[in-house]
Amino acid sequence: MNRRKFIRNAGIAGAGAFAVPYILPSGRLFAATGRQLAGHVVYVLFAGGVRQQESILQRYLDDSQGFPWAGNIMYNMFNGPSPENKIVYGTNQGNGVEGGTPIPQILSQTLETQGTVFREVQAQSAGHFGGLNNLLQGSQVTTQGLKQKPINPTIFEYLRRHGGFPASKVWFVGNGIGNGLPLLNYSNHPNYGSQYGANFFAPSITFGNLGFEHLSNAKVYHPENELDPMYQMKYFLDQSFANVGKGGDSLGNTEDEKQDIKSFMRSTYDRVTQNAIPFPTITENNDALNIGFACEIMRWFKPAITVVNLSSVDGCHADFTGYLRALHRADHAVGHLWNYIQTQIPEMAGDTVLIASPECGRNLNHNPIKDVNDWYAYDHSDNNASRVFTVMAGPGVPQNLSIGNEANPVGFTSDNVPTIGEILGVKDEIMGAGFLQPESVSLFDRI
Amino acid sequence: MKNKIIAFFLGLLILSFAACKKDVAQDQYEVNPVKLYPSIGAKNKNKTQEQYVSILYTNLFQRALSGNQLVEIIDCLESIGDKELGREVLISNFMNDPQVVLPSDSVMRANPDVFTEQTYERFFVRKPSEAEKTWFRNFIEANPQLSAEMIYFAFALSNEYLYY
Repeated sequence: MNRRKFIRNAGIAGAGAFAVPYILPSGRLFAATGRQLAGHVVYVLFAGGVRQQESILQRYLDDSQGFPWAGNIMYNMFNGPSPENKIVYGTNQGNGVEGGTPIPQILSQTLETQGTVFREVQAQSAGHFGGLNNLLQGSQVTTQGLKQKPINPTIFEYLRRHGGFPASKVWFVGNGIGNGLPLLNYSNHPNYGSQYGANFFAPSITFGNLGFEHLSNAKVYHPENELDPMYQMKYFLDQSFANVGKGGDSLGNTEDEKQDIKSFMRSTYDRVTQNAIPFPTITENNDALNIGFACEIMRWFKPAITVVNLSSVDGCHADFTGYLRALHRADHAVGHLWNYIQTQIPEMAGDTVLIASPECGRNLNHNPIKDVNDWYAYDHSDNNASRVFTVMAGPGVPQNLSIGNEANPVGFTSDNVPTIGEILGVKDEIMGAGFLQPESVSLFDRI
Repeated sequence: MKNKIIAFFLGLLILSFAACKKDVAQDQYEVNPVKLYPSIGAKNKNKTQEQYVSILYTNLFQRALSGNQLVEIIDCLESIGDKELGREVLISNFMNDPQVVLPSDSVMRANPDVFTEQTYERFFVRKPSEAEKTWFRNFIEANPQLSAEMIYFAFALSNEYLYY
């Protein structure tokens, strides 16, 4: 090789070394280009079909049962006076009346005061699975079936693929395993999928009676002396089988992350036994329990995103009184969640944005079922079921701001995905991927 | 003569009992012999979670898992997003059960080739290739702390065990 050729080749090699991008562990080529507004997002899928009338419109029994008693039963989230009569949504403690004692407010300032409320948002599905898919995919795919993984990428996959977040920083906390909930932690999309999925627990099972019986007695193997050779053998066996088939869908947790999750599970079984899980004060339903375990997950992992699902209000199909109680408790649980982050998790306090939206609303007109108070129940299938709200609070979110009203709807539930993308620095990548509902934009762009 | 008559009637009596014995066909339930896969490539179907759990339980405990327990365990696995991690936790729980049936380490070390062959047959329903046998022989001999339990764990967690 002559000198000229050597210099030319060396130049090409050098240029190549600079040009070839550094490939992040997540598989993405470049670091996220967007600026993060906060380090963490807590996204509450609130809470199983919520009527605007009893939630943000604060009409209590006035717009459902024909009684002139209005008032706010969600006073951790919204500003407004509580009902003065016919109090049934509280606890049985105190005055002896069934549900007659409202749960004390947790937050000194409501989320409405601390942040921004979109008062009239359009949900793009009147059903639970469709609504949840919409909240997580940012789109409403007409071919999306029940009991089917999301067709388009979820917010988890966007964050992991484009933001480079490791699996253990992306969590979905489900309040059960019914209604296809465990399907929602990643999509079937060929460009995304399980390797960018979220870790998922349904704590009522994992850390409930079943989990205690079948999972809590796991043998603890020594990481070097036992686990290392075990994994070496597994990898050898997998290598032999590699040409035939592969393992099940992997979330891409590294071995260290898996050890960390197993340690978390052991710790949680111990803490359940010691009554040390940070549950809300009132834990009468599965939503409250789920929020407690979500707090535990955040305390341990400090995730970039924690999605928490609530659904107890769906008892409204047959029990309006129970619905009011569940709504009041869901508000209590969200208040507890926000308070816990700000006071008990220093790494997340002041660096977390909370977003809460129902996946769908409920009907304008009742069904024929009456509850113990002779109050009618409500399903979710009409236009009123597509009316919901979105609340957000935290760094970068304007405070004490209210946008839209009954006559002037602003925003869609699918907006939440690019909004989270903006908070965590991958909005452009999400918008550019081309899978969002066409009209969706970040809620910050609607302010 | 009298003795002959007594013997005749005694014989008749015995025969009559024999004749009265009801001939009941006994239903016998046995395990069908399982043919070994001719090669690793013959496996092309994924086990369902139910199949995986019940086969794993049978392999480790040498008895069948009850229907109720199967449903409960499947629910537990459903409640964990990382399925491989879920399986690992489940296997670790099984290994902590005093009723798990494992060969002793001394049996394993006495004849690693036979142990490897039996383990492949138990978990993978096929014979190991010579290369696989050699690898495990070397691995067992090179790792004095290795136990039969650890090898069973690796097989139960392997990708091939997810197929049939």
